[in-house]
Amino acid sequence: MSNFNIDAQALNTYDAIVVGSGISGGWAAKELTGKGLRTLVLERGRDVRHVTDYPTTNTQPWEFEHRNQLKKEVRDANPIISKCYAFYEGTEQFFVKDAEHPYIQEKPFDWIRGYQVGGKSLMWARQTQRWSDFDFDGPARDGFAVDWPIRYADIAPWYSYVEKFAGISGNKDGLSTLPDGEFLPPHEWNCVEKHFQQKVAGKYKDRHVIMGRAAHITKPQPIHFQQGRAQCQHRTICERGCPFGGYFSSNSSTIPWAAKTGKMTLRPNSVVHSIIYDEKKGRATGVRVVDSNTKQMTEYYARIIFLNAAALNSNLVLLNSTSHRFPNGLGNDSGVLGKYAAFHNYRAGVSAEYDGNLDSTTDGRRPNSPYIPRFRNVHKQEMGFLRGYAAGFSAGRSSHSDQSSVGADLKESLLNPKLGGWYVGSHMMGETIPKESNYLALDATQKDPFGIPQLKISIAYDDNDDKMVKDYQEQLTEMFTEAGFKNIRVRDSHASPGLDIHEMGGVRMGKDPKTSMLNKWSQLHAVKNVFVTDGACMTSTSTQNPSLTYMALTARAADYAVKAMKQGLV
Amino acid sequence: MAGAVGGLISLPAWANGWTTETVRSSQQLLSSGQAELLAELVETIIPVTDTPGAKALNVHKFVQKMVADCYDKSTQENLQKGLDSLDGLAQKSYSKSFAAGDTAQRTALLTQLAKSTDTAQKDFYSLVKNLTIRGYMSSEYVMTNLTHYQFIPGHYYGCVPVQAKATSQPK
Repeated sequence: MSNFNIDAQALNTYDAIVVGSGISGGWAAKELTGKGLRTLVLERGRDVRHVTDYPTTNTQPWEFEHRNQLKKEVRDANPIISKCYAFYEGTEQFFVKDAEHPYIQEKPFDWIRGYQVGGKSLMWARQTQRWSDFDFDGPARDGFAVDWPIRYADIAPWYSYVEKFAGISGNKDGLSTLPDGEFLPPHEWNCVEKHFQQKVAGKYKDRHVIMGRAAHITKPQPIHFQQGRAQCQHRTICERGCPFGGYFSSNSSTIPWAAKTGKMTLRPNSVVHSIIYDEKKGRATGVRVVDSNTKQMTEYYARIIFLNAAALNSNLVLLNSTSHRFPNGLGNDSGVLGKYAAFHNYRAGVSAEYDGNLDSTTDGRRPNSPYIPRFRNVHKQEMGFLRGYAAGFSAGRSSHSDQSSVGADLKESLLNPKLGGWYVGSHMMGETIPKESNYLALDATQKDPFGIPQLKISIAYDDNDDKMVKDYQEQLTEMFTEAGFKNIRVRDSHASPGLDIHEMGGVRMGKDPKTSMLNKWSQLHAVKNVFVTDGACMTSTSTQNPSLTYMALTARAADYAVKAMKQGLV
Repeated sequence: MAGAVGGLISLPAWANGWTTETVRSSQQLLSSGQAELLAELVETIIPVTDTPGAKALNVHKFVQKMVADCYDKSTQENLQKGLDSLDGLAQKSYSKSFAAGDTAQRTALLTQLAKSTDTAQKDFYSLVKNLTIRGYMSSEYVMTNLTHYQFIPGHYYGCVPVQAKATSQPK
């Protein structure tokens, strides 16, 4: 019988294991298999194959039983996920229901998750801005977190690398705050957005309104056709899965690309319990996996492990990976594991109306919108709060019909709507400060359905965030006034953290092992063959959307990992 | 283009949704009498003209389904109660059942409901009217033939002259 165990161990041994198949896990899978490594990709959710597993992708509006409204029983059973803008009748199948993975909200936190192959890359909002040196050197300058061990120059070539493959549309704007990338043609502006852009440019030297950079194929290149992807068709129902592969998702791009190498084994329904640390060898040897169907635990082994479970779950896995050597979580000599968690502040918005350009309107739909890069505290600390905020902006034209009558008059009115004026809107994307008091921990007693301790989340807004909300509202009001917009209304949703869906930190990078978990290659300081390249690795959060940076950091780390493996360093 | 793509896809049975012909009701909220009255009510709100009215497009079934599946119990009860009292109001106003009234009589009654000082009555009417408009405007017939919804516009033009705009609704 002893032979049997050895066989089983050999059968479960790979060159590399990737935990998670979302936006960063997909890249780890593609890069590692592309470099010849036999790679096991573990996904806790079910398999979702490109096109065939997008059940509502071709459903017409009238075919939805409730016209995309959620049933009451769904809303009642899912108070958390029901708050997410992208969760509706046509997308229910891609979001984690509240009961499926319970967690402890030590402070209110709306944890938005997608457990399936592709993860949240199926339903993301697809904004892909590069970070600049103002973002990477911010912590060193302001002292609000530890210094990043990398700068823009370290990651720039990897941004280019992932942009070309993923397909990013945008305009080269030449801004130091938002470096240009390898862009496909940008989406089109409308008249009122252009008007706003010009008014802002005329009044402020340091404020810019640009077209958002988005992961949409506006003009396919050979590399996109090779992936089987085609031009974006402007359906704007992306979160149901795109049969054209018009936007980037792991499902349409990196995962099938990794599969084509013949080196990938994809194992859905695999909830990773912990990483196995071998004290004699002084390295991680594999992972423990609970099959979500059978609840059986199996061990898988590999030379290197990429942890890409999405920030909070990557923290959970490391916290749950205890051993004699690491009683407080794998690689946690510093004690900072789970701390300095951060997110983005999406609380505030400003809207208004405009009565110019009434002879023009728009036609078609656009899966993107203009963007206002950060302009606060860029070159020096000038405000009474740390860091800054970016903002989304868009304009559109409304139409109205008089619904006061009944009968034939009402019908006539409904079928002949009158074009109204233009409406404009903006939302903020503020950088939150990673603080020790914003932490993740394991609950001592409560377990999830797989017998794994529940994650305790203790994350909250602070005074810095409130000041930023106020400044954003004031500045956008000023800019809107300058543009001649009327009926300006500001709002603060006072939503709990989490709805930004930009979970970050807890396993931060840094130069000093005493104050950080990962080195400049996203490698655990203390366990060299474990790499964490999802949002957990973020030292600070910038004002930009983080997904493109996860992709670039992952490709960069995978390149390093394979070279280091060949040199016998891991 | 949608057809070409659709041909490649095998949808699970649950994803096929409903058409105006086949409404699967998860819960029978109304009695057959109430349901027939609701059909007359939605038809009064959006009647047949040279195009089909709300009843022919099964909007009454949509209203019932929405209230049964997406609304709380008190709203459901208010729909039942509102329908039960509608015939009484018709008798009071024009001495016949709602269904037997002519267009002018029915319309006058609905105008009265809209202005009612009874909150429950007003809410009942406003619920039915809003859902009727929604069901009608998002029906296959209207979206396909009258408002010319584009599932795949394939473009975004930011500044087109107002007259040249083709109608298309989001989502």
